[in-house]
Amino acid sequence: MATIRDMIAPFELFQPTSIGDAVALLGEHGADAWVLAGGLDSFDWFKDRIKRPGVVVDLGAVEELRGIRASGGGLEIGAMTTLTDVELHPDVRARFSILADAARHVATPQIRNQGTLGGNVAQDTRCWYYRSGWPCYRAGGNICYASAPKAMNREHCIMGASRCVAVNPSDTAPALIALDAQMVIQGPEGERVVEAKDFFIGPGIDITRMTVLEPGDLLTAIRIPDTWSEATFYYEKVRDRNSWDFSLVTVAAALRVEGATIGDARIAVNGVAPHPVRLQHVEAYARGKTRDDDNGRQAGELAIQKARALRHNDYKLSLMKNLVRRAIRGMEA
Amino acid sequence: MAEKLIGTDIAPPDLVAKITGRAKFAEDFRADGMVFAKLLLSPMPHARVRNIDASRALRMEGVIDVLTAQDVPEVEPPREPVLSNEPLYEGAPILAVAAVDETTAAAAIEAIEVDLEPLPFVLDPLDSLRPGGPDAWTQGNVSGREGFQSLKWTEEDFARMEGGHLPLGEPLTEWSKGDVEAGFAEADVIVEESIVHQSLTHHPLEPRSTMAYWQNGKLFCHTSTQSTAVTRVALAGALGLDPDDVVLIAEFCGGGFGSKISGTTHMQVPALFSRKIGRPVMLRVTRYEESYIGRARPGFQGWVKMGLRENGRVTAIDLYIVQDSGPHGAGDYNTAGSITDLTYQPENMRFRGVPVLTNTPPKSAQRGPGGAQIISMLEPIFDKAARQLEMDRLEIRLLNAPGHDATFGPQDASLTSVHAREALERGAELFGWAEKTSLSGQRNGPKATGIGIGLSPFTAGNRGFDGLLIIRPDGKLYIHQGIGNLGTHSMADTARAAAEYLGYAWENVEVVWGDTSRNLPWSCVQAGSMTTHSHTRANRAAAEDAKRKIQEIAARELGGSPSEYEVDDGRVFRRGRPAQGMGLGQVAERAIALGGRYDGHELPDDINRVTVVAAGNVAGQGLMGVARDNYGGEGSIYSWVAGFALVELDVETGVVDIKEYCGVTDCGTVLHPRSLGGQIFGGSIQGMGMAMSQRWVFDPQWGVPFAKRLYTARPPGMLDVPLDLKWDAVGIPDPQTPVGAKGIGEPPVGAGAAAITSAVADALGGQCLCRTPLTPDIILAEIEGRRTFGPLEQHVG
Amino acid sequence: MELFRRAANPWNQEVLIGVSWDLMWAAVIAGIAFMVAHALLVMGKTKRLAEPAAEAAGIPEKIERHSMGARAFHWLMAVAMFALLVTAFVPVIGLQFPWVTIHWVAGVALIATIVYHVFHSILKEDFWSMWTRSVDVKRGMMLLKNVFTRSDAEDPKTGKYGVDHQLYHHAVMVLTVAAIVTGVLMMFRIDTPFWERNPYLLSDGAWGIVYVVHGLSGVALITMVMTHVYFAIRPEKLWLTRSMIFGFIDRSHYLEHFDPEHWKVGSGAGEALEAPSGGALAETAAQSPHESV
Repeated sequence: MATIRDMIAPFELFQPTSIGDAVALLGEHGADAWVLAGGLDSFDWFKDRIKRPGVVVDLGAVEELRGIRASGGGLEIGAMTTLTDVELHPDVRARFSILADAARHVATPQIRNQGTLGGNVAQDTRCWYYRSGWPCYRAGGNICYASAPKAMNREHCIMGASRCVAVNPSDTAPALIALDAQMVIQGPEGERVVEAKDFFIGPGIDITRMTVLEPGDLLTAIRIPDTWSEATFYYEKVRDRNSWDFSLVTVAAALRVEGATIGDARIAVNGVAPHPVRLQHVEAYARGKTRDDDNGRQAGELAIQKARALRHNDYKLSLMKNLVRRAIRGMEA
Repeated sequence: MAEKLIGTDIAPPDLVAKITGRAKFAEDFRADGMVFAKLLLSPMPHARVRNIDASRALRMEGVIDVLTAQDVPEVEPPREPVLSNEPLYEGAPILAVAAVDETTAAAAIEAIEVDLEPLPFVLDPLDSLRPGGPDAWTQGNVSGREGFQSLKWTEEDFARMEGGHLPLGEPLTEWSKGDVEAGFAEADVIVEESIVHQSLTHHPLEPRSTMAYWQNGKLFCHTSTQSTAVTRVALAGALGLDPDDVVLIAEFCGGGFGSKISGTTHMQVPALFSRKIGRPVMLRVTRYEESYIGRARPGFQGWVKMGLRENGRVTAIDLYIVQDSGPHGAGDYNTAGSITDLTYQPENMRFRGVPVLTNTPPKSAQRGPGGAQIISMLEPIFDKAARQLEMDRLEIRLLNAPGHDATFGPQDASLTSVHAREALERGAELFGWAEKTSLSGQRNGPKATGIGIGLSPFTAGNRGFDGLLIIRPDGKLYIHQGIGNLGTHSMADTARAAAEYLGYAWENVEVVWGDTSRNLPWSCVQAGSMTTHSHTRANRAAAEDAKRKIQEIAARELGGSPSEYEVDDGRVFRRGRPAQGMGLGQVAERAIALGGRYDGHELPDDINRVTVVAAGNVAGQGLMGVARDNYGGEGSIYSWVAGFALVELDVETGVVDIKEYCGVTDCGTVLHPRSLGGQIFGGSIQGMGMAMSQRWVFDPQWGVPFAKRLYTARPPGMLDVPLDLKWDAVGIPDPQTPVGAKGIGEPPVGAGAAAITSAVADALGGQCLCRTPLTPDIILAEIEGRRTFGPLEQHVG
Repeated sequence: MELFRRAANPWNQEVLIGVSWDLMWAAVIAGIAFMVAHALLVMGKTKRLAEPAAEAAGIPEKIERHSMGARAFHWLMAVAMFALLVTAFVPVIGLQFPWVTIHWVAGVALIATIVYHVFHSILKEDFWSMWTRSVDVKRGMMLLKNVFTRSDAEDPKTGKYGVDHQLYHHAVMVLTVAAIVTGVLMMFRIDTPFWERNPYLLSDGAWGIVYVVHGLSGVALITMVMTHVYFAIRPEKLWLTRSMIFGFIDRSHYLEHFDPEHWKVGSGAGEALEAPSGGALAETAAQSPHESV
């Protein structure tokens, strides 16, 4: 069977208008159903004819999935809220600016107008071996092409690999982890709430999924508790060009700083592992330390202690180390 | 006195259609009974088709037929066939399917079984040159005048690789002037570096889509092409047709950058398919397909040794280029040799080169082919020499830049005019070079500032094409343009040469272009930045012919001698007696009445046959100006851009932020300032992308490219463009051409790229990475001493 | 039911990538079917006990059947095998956990126990007790006949290991070796401390065979382990199971089930040395430096 790309294969389209209907449809069609949010990830797959769901459930018409509301001292953001809305929302900007910052770093304005926060956290990896439709582990096969001795893996992981060495591409994920966000999921058995750091799973657990979402599950909202409201934030995404580019390494940190001393901290990294990584050992190190370059360097070294480079991504060790250093030290040297 | 047209901002006539979306590009056309074609691409980088089983596809409802390699013209290797049973790169089209719609055609492709036998393949030219290395073609790895050859270097040659240097084995091409060794002996400073320049896909916004049908034995073809008159002839030639039997419609082109010069190889698919099945066929090429069949700039692996005297003068350059030529060849490496000689004017020079055939997507000229690559590589190396001599980098360039009397290249070609030094000086002024030298290497926290210069020449003209215009009884001037509408505005702007000469107000000028049935004269290819020069000349020649005829008619009608008459503002009148004159509409009527050469019934005998036919078709419709550009001239025509950049390099992340850029050109007379600025900025930004982000990546095991989506290929985006962008032009007319204008499309690319590579090296304290793209990983790895690829490794992204 | 999983490689060539997981269910069903069939066939069969006093003479009360080393091997191997099967198949049925490292570590442990077992059984144990001879086969046929005819006849006595044990051992040995050899190759596709990953160590076709062999031996081991556990917990076999825990069997069991000629229980050692009696075997044994210790 010859291959052809850039031509979406036919599918059955459902456009429910309520969460209930959407969940019912997903339950009915099981693994054959594909959840369509902004479509930025989905349509790439569809156009390439690599993923061919029989049924697509488009959430575009589910109004209750959109919007940002106050909730328990924090905020609840509907999963279908666009990244532009997240970026521009006054409460997000005033209290959780790291999330606005993260949303602003996604792709391009056009993509942010269409892309959603839920879609951004639930998106699939951009490993180009996998995206080429090759039968790798993540695609249900038995090989990781990206970890071969001469493979092209400058954008792949330096930690957390298990057979698959792809990385999670989400720009908002590390910010959400740094904010102790919670993911609200509607499944066949009702609602469950998962901590952001546990929402993302590595290939060791399930090599074909990036998150805990299973067929039938729907991410409905993301809750930001008030824990880190108006904290000191650091967010830096390093990429090859300044727009429409996935991250090489991103570090997001929320710090409670008193004087020059760090009280408590949350530090999360993306682009280095198949899932965003919360650096709890670095957080522990940072507690009670002053924000200076020495402590930054120590924290950076600590962060990459267990990292191991592939053929072409040794630079990610330096990059992660330096970004963590900046998170602790601050941008100024 | 009519308005001055040359040197003013006039919106081109196609602007509104483009902005409002009403412009029809090739894929917007439809014809009765039209079907859609889809291509089946090779999944292997080199293979032989053993069998094609399309039976299941042909049984599907709505599938019309299959077009295979048997149905297309044979070409002499290493030229590119339309469809092939020996695909030479992953993505090479093997066959096409036609169906009533694209969905069906796509399903049909998936129903076809192609049995392929994998053959040895090679991606990196150096791998092919190794003893026992694979060849891209079964016949060999280089193709010269004597045909294919399997060129292998020795293990001893490759021993140089251990030290990170390019092996200097047997070249395919070699030329020298003076004595390069003697030149090095005289040098006080010698710099030597190996270089790697990536290959780059063209990525024009409009893919090479084509729709074609046949009527009464004539081929009608809507396609995306840079040129028009030449493309028709090229298409006719490829299909073995008389050009008169081809109607080519290409009013708009969404960019080509050198990849659609005389059309495209695959525009033949709908033409051939339509002939086979008797229905109009549309081939809409997708972005994915475009990344394979859309051409690419050839990458270089090279080595350069440069010697300079204490006073900064270059005594010798020894340059060796190994070129990734793709499966079908490219000429960039030779141009790189000439441009090096031209730019640095070494007293002694040797050039050696090997263009190696590889199993990567086909290469072709890309905006500043050869020049852009080599200038972006050499400028930071030149800087290194300046640093060792403790000379100012501007000063050393002013010292070595050519003047009017310069010669260059293997044939010691002369030049029509050179104002490179003026461009450098004006650029330095605009950029504030003198003040900014103090910023060089300055640290602000983790940010290091670097400033850079790139001086980039490229060909900018040609001679001997035809102009054709008619003044009709409505008094309007119709200027026929056989050049294409690539988006550079030259289709309209070169018409000004005729309009201004004839004293026409622009609103009374109609530019006729984009459809060969509208009788277009023989023109140059829209490439090599030659259009402005070539067609200001051709149109001026036609205008001069028209003016003579107008004066003759006026003298005949109103008395006196022709030379006593002036033409302006739509009238011809006796000098000093404006009342004694007549409108040009009246003149046109008289011309028709007179016939003969006045209305095109008699034509000059030195014009091209294409122009003869075109002029013949419109003969009798008014007063015709038709002429070949016989102005002549001595020497090569080159334009220059001096680019200046300021960057900030974050030493903790390897990220480079381009803060300022200014480009100053020597392109003779400025025809259209706003458009010229667009060309300088556009070309420079393309060069910045080349230096900073755009890439090719292949998996070495499977020979498959990855950067085939715009987001993975990474051409620069809006946020990669510095906010502080300036341009200017020296504006000194070229003395050998009537309007004084030279082309500008290409030199900015090298200037933009080189200003950045030079500035990045400066920010790194003069350390030249000598490779592109300069992505954060490569810069950071260098800063932190972590190398993640081999010294001459290509395609590492 | 598909037997194999296939995929198109990057060159769009069809390649084998493994066995169909349907085979896992087939293996489970086969195991259950065997147990049910066996249980039905032996249901209600009376057990006869006979302990002729004469033969008991000189036989100790407790007879060592499995040395400490042998038992340690057995249980370590069992743990490794269970770990391997659980980590291999539980994720397939949908219970997700990070199984890969446990799987290969268990595999390495299995290899270590087997290496120990090979040397131990050759150097320290009665290697030949596992050797299947014609008399073992004959007795095995009688046993089968008893089972299938539901005969009340006394089951034939055997050497230390009856042919059923021997064949089970051989089958498990073949399957385990196949799984280990392919498993070690598969470790080139993942991160281990032993070597650099190289998925291109073998051709696509050869990898396909490796995965299929690993998969087939894996699913077959499901059936084997199921039946093994089944026999181990059958009431009439519990004395054997106990011997794998404590090392000893009672004299009564010895006399009831074993041919003292065939499994000689020497005084003191509590363990009989196997003396091959057949000509050819004797010759083989004579050539073997390890026939006795």
